[in-house]
Amino acid sequence: MRRRIIVITYAFIIVFLILAVQEARIQIVDRAAIQQHAGDPRRAQSLAHRGELLDATGLPLAQTKGSRRIYSAGPALAHVVGYSSSVYGESGLESSLDSILSPRDPSSDQFAALGSLFSQRRQQPKPAGGKVILTLRRDIAQAVDQALPANVRGAAVVLDPRTGAVLAAVNRPTFNPNRLAADWSKLRSRADSPLLDRCFDGLYPPGSTFKMLTASAALDSGTFTVDDGFRDPGYFTIGNFTVHNAEGEATGYQTLVGAFAHSSNVDFAQIGVKLGVDMFYQYLHRFKVGDDAALSLPVSRDEIPAANSVTDGELAQMAFGQGSLAVTPLRMALIAATIANGGSLMRPLIVKEIQPAGRPPIRTVPVNWGTPISKPTADAVRDMMIDVVRYGTGTAAGLTNVIVAGKTGTATHPGGAPDAWFVCFAPARAPRLVVAVIIEDAGYGGVAAAPIARNILAAALPLYAQ
Amino acid sequence: MASESATLTSSGARPRISIPLLSVLAVASVCLALLLPQNGPFPWWLLGLVAIGFIAWNASVRLSADADPMLLPIVAALCALGILVITRLDVYLGVHQVLSMLVGLAIVVIGQRLFLQYRRLANVTYFWVLVSVALFVLLRFFGHEVNGARLWFKFGPLTAQPVEAVKLFMVFFMAAYLSKNGETLAALRSSSLLANLRLLFPLLLVWGISILSLVLQRDVGMAALFLGIFLVMLYVGSRRLDLVIVSALVFIIGAWIAAQNFPYVQARIALWLDPWSDPLGRAYQAEQAYFSMAAGGLLGTGYHLGHPGFVPDAATDYPFAAVAEEFGLAGGLALLALYGALVIRGMRVAFFSRDAFTALLATGFAATLGVQVAVIVAGVIGLLPLTGITLPFVSYGGSSVVANLLMLNFLWIFSAQAKAVPST
Repeated sequence: MRRRIIVITYAFIIVFLILAVQEARIQIVDRAAIQQHAGDPRRAQSLAHRGELLDATGLPLAQTKGSRRIYSAGPALAHVVGYSSSVYGESGLESSLDSILSPRDPSSDQFAALGSLFSQRRQQPKPAGGKVILTLRRDIAQAVDQALPANVRGAAVVLDPRTGAVLAAVNRPTFNPNRLAADWSKLRSRADSPLLDRCFDGLYPPGSTFKMLTASAALDSGTFTVDDGFRDPGYFTIGNFTVHNAEGEATGYQTLVGAFAHSSNVDFAQIGVKLGVDMFYQYLHRFKVGDDAALSLPVSRDEIPAANSVTDGELAQMAFGQGSLAVTPLRMALIAATIANGGSLMRPLIVKEIQPAGRPPIRTVPVNWGTPISKPTADAVRDMMIDVVRYGTGTAAGLTNVIVAGKTGTATHPGGAPDAWFVCFAPARAPRLVVAVIIEDAGYGGVAAAPIARNILAAALPLYAQ
Repeated sequence: MASESATLTSSGARPRISIPLLSVLAVASVCLALLLPQNGPFPWWLLGLVAIGFIAWNASVRLSADADPMLLPIVAALCALGILVITRLDVYLGVHQVLSMLVGLAIVVIGQRLFLQYRRLANVTYFWVLVSVALFVLLRFFGHEVNGARLWFKFGPLTAQPVEAVKLFMVFFMAAYLSKNGETLAALRSSSLLANLRLLFPLLLVWGISILSLVLQRDVGMAALFLGIFLVMLYVGSRRLDLVIVSALVFIIGAWIAAQNFPYVQARIALWLDPWSDPLGRAYQAEQAYFSMAAGGLLGTGYHLGHPGFVPDAATDYPFAAVAEEFGLAGGLALLALYGALVIRGMRVAFFSRDAFTALLATGFAATLGVQVAVIVAGVIGLLPLTGITLPFVSYGGSSVVANLLMLNFLWIFSAQAKAVPST
């Protein structure tokens, strides 16, 4: 019996050692990973010292008043600004800028803790939070919020093409970050995902708005000129796949300008096939489609099929924004911004200046992310986009006193009516604003999205004069 | 056998006070005195009573100097830590916990004459089974339901958790049964086990009844604990690994069936496999416990400087996380080391016992403590699904504290007897 008692004793020692190892794993090894998860009320404990988020003009977007965090832009910027709550965790910029807004206690540093081992009763002063100035504009966001209908699913992104500054990113449906407690269970259970940031996280087939990139590639590579003619009998068969136009119509014989203005899928399928996979993918990469935007917010990676798996049929569809392509609304705004900016792509920015407590401010500067196309190409595509609004599919986006350049998109997808897109910039020859609008399952882009984009431009251009 | 106990109690040796006990009591009371007043009105003369209780306990057996000098100090340290943690979470619960400790100490001290005659228990093997079954039946019909589990008796303001007593009865029964039948069991060939069902029947019956009633009452943690006690004692008492393995298999199959049929068990297992799955629903408690332990890090936030109260029901289910948050990995490991020391000392008592019954009782009590710590701590740190059993001496829970003090008292008087009478 004594031998067996010893065996049992050793068994217990081994079990306790396993427990010790696992505890060490949680408290030391996995510590940082655990603290990454949303929902730790300890993070929101320092709310009183949490720094402010300000818009580009200095208006508050998130600030602490008493024991509450107030979001002045409300539903308009709910997803981008996000929330910080001791119950519901953190999201948006409130989450990604957390380390600046609420610096950790010095005592959470393991070795500092060692020093304070014998003076635990002395509560250390909480470090003050830093302030962050964003490129967002509260007034523009509110204008976009008003321009978007209430009962749709969709998103609108507004950029300054010259700097890449994100001025507004508004989602539908949205939520009120000031009343999370009352709405939370409804927000979580609703089928239309009001907590999803469609601007940066939503992936959609871009439809015909992607013809901006295909046309740029066609002209910039020298494969086509604007005067090249195409014959569109209403269908184009490649391999075992037949391409049709959005309304099943035949646009007949026309130049590239006409094919773009009337958004002929048949013509662009032919352009895609003639460009070939290598050339087309070269321009995808030049426009950074699928690349990490390195924004201060989580942004979904665009989905593009692997180049070696692309058949001619797939390529023909990608040329007019269908097939396996899926991009964020931000990406379409960036492609339009490249054309607006004379061919050079500015890296998107959302943080303008960080003011850490007690240290000099850090200002972000606009960065040229590359020059996907030459200036003459950009100008030619711009002129084609002006024609889209002047007499093509996007006339609903026209403004009386400003020339608008745009492109419609009607992106078909399984399980619903097509998504309506409109991507544009204005004033066309000295662009200050790029607007990308998508309304899910709403039908034709020229009908369902273009008027919204026009209203956004009409309201935002006077607010953004220089 | 009774005469031996008589010689113990009536021998002329004067009671002596153990130095380790006094030093632990001194350190523990200084710590408590320094820390407790921070958290509002704690009637802290009660701590003086606890210290007096421990000294009285130590003095309650003559020749106590021959008893294991480590057991009571370790228990005193665990009790002190328990008071610190519970009081920090809720002063009211802390006071209640201290009162439970006093009740336990009083029972031990006043009843010591009876406890010293524990060998008489060997004669009433099946009595414990009847009492246990009776308790379960009563519980089924008159039990007080909390959180969907019927585990408590309620007498006015007092509640009692009878399963804590059944825990002791289980050990009594196993020790009595195995001290009589262990050798016979050991001699049987595996092939003839089935032919000797008459011998095995009481064992199977008791085990089946306890597991079944526990499953019916949704106390999976206790079922696991009883299985642990059963397996350890069966192995030590009969050296039959085949029975141990078969029983373990039966339990695993039973647990699998339970998982298929009880949504409550299913939910707990799902949470265990993916604790981050439902952060605002059922996983909330487990997830908050992870945050709590992660906040502690190496040395902890310091007493009263963390937020262990964010974990729901921390005082009963997650005192270990509270220790790990405010005293860090260092504190958590120290706590585990204390329990480890307690189990090892308990097994040492079993090792030096002079008769099989005592050795089996000691093994059973030490194993009960060890398995209980392992099951609840493994649940908190995610190695097993979380169960509702207590962390001995630290978790809030009166019945548990009293039952654990009784177990420790038995271990302690066994150790006194092992040395008091030189083995022949």
